[in-house]
Amino acid sequence: MENQQIPTDSSSLDNFFNISFDEATRGQIRKAAQWARICALCTFIGYGVSLIVTFFGRQTELTETESGIQITSAYRAGAILGSLLVVGIGVWIYYFLYRFAISTAKGMDTMDSIKTNEGFDSLRRFFKIVGILLIIGFSLFMLIMLLSLLR
Amino acid sequence: MENNQQDSFLQMNLDYDGGNILRETVRWSRFLSIVGIVVLSICLLGFIMAGKYLIPAFSRLMPGVENIENLAGALIMGVILVFVAIFGFLVYMLYRFSVLIRKGIEHQDQIVFAEGMKCLKLYFLVSGILAVLTLLGNLLSLTKLF
Repeated sequence: MENQQIPTDSSSLDNFFNISFDEATRGQIRKAAQWARICALCTFIGYGVSLIVTFFGRQTELTETESGIQITSAYRAGAILGSLLVVGIGVWIYYFLYRFAISTAKGMDTMDSIKTNEGFDSLRRFFKIVGILLIIGFSLFMLIMLLSLLR
Repeated sequence: MENNQQDSFLQMNLDYDGGNILRETVRWSRFLSIVGIVVLSICLLGFIMAGKYLIPAFSRLMPGVENIENLAGALIMGVILVFVAIFGFLVYMLYRFSVLIRKGIEHQDQIVFAEGMKCLKLYFLVSGILAVLTLLGNLLSLTKLF
């Protein structure tokens, strides 16, 4: 009995329960989710447009010689591959923003904390992926700068 | 009495999982906002330092205003200021969201927490408007291409 420890102060687990999603906060989150959905949908449509432009856009031939056509087709293949990569990564990232918008709005409307948590988890993933890609991009940029300085 | 009961019934609390998720969310959003502020500051500093060479170069690209150097400079300065103001507002809102939500959870302050969510709303509002404008620009370029 003596060895038993009685918790004297409230744990950090209990602290979260003092924050509530009142009507005003829920209104703000609902609006945020609404605009996040608009943002994600516009980005998806924009990616679709850029794919259409890449695949079906008017091509300008450099020259009419064989080497000119080869350069043009190599450039076109590179552009298609590059845009597919960018669109793939972009759709993957913005899918999380879209999920945040849908789940959080549903959670706020139905007062469902599981849905709300799912929504905020998607927002966390969205920010995390953008942050990691930023770190990778910055590292690559620094590496290229370093290599070009060493040459 | 009835109103009070209804209010407490209508409230939804932030649970342990939600609190942890939000804490990690604000950690990443703070990182992104700080990177944004640094990048924006570097861009602004670079423009101030290279402005002497950039303004004549840009003014040569604009037919009609190349002779009026002050006008071209003012136009470029205006565009850059608008760009910096919009993106500065975005990263500031993201930073405020991360700081306020973290403070709200740590101090269990409902008002600060709500203020943080307001910043998130403003961040997505400006991002959404920018996304709509970008999409309109893309669609316009699509009509020119075909």
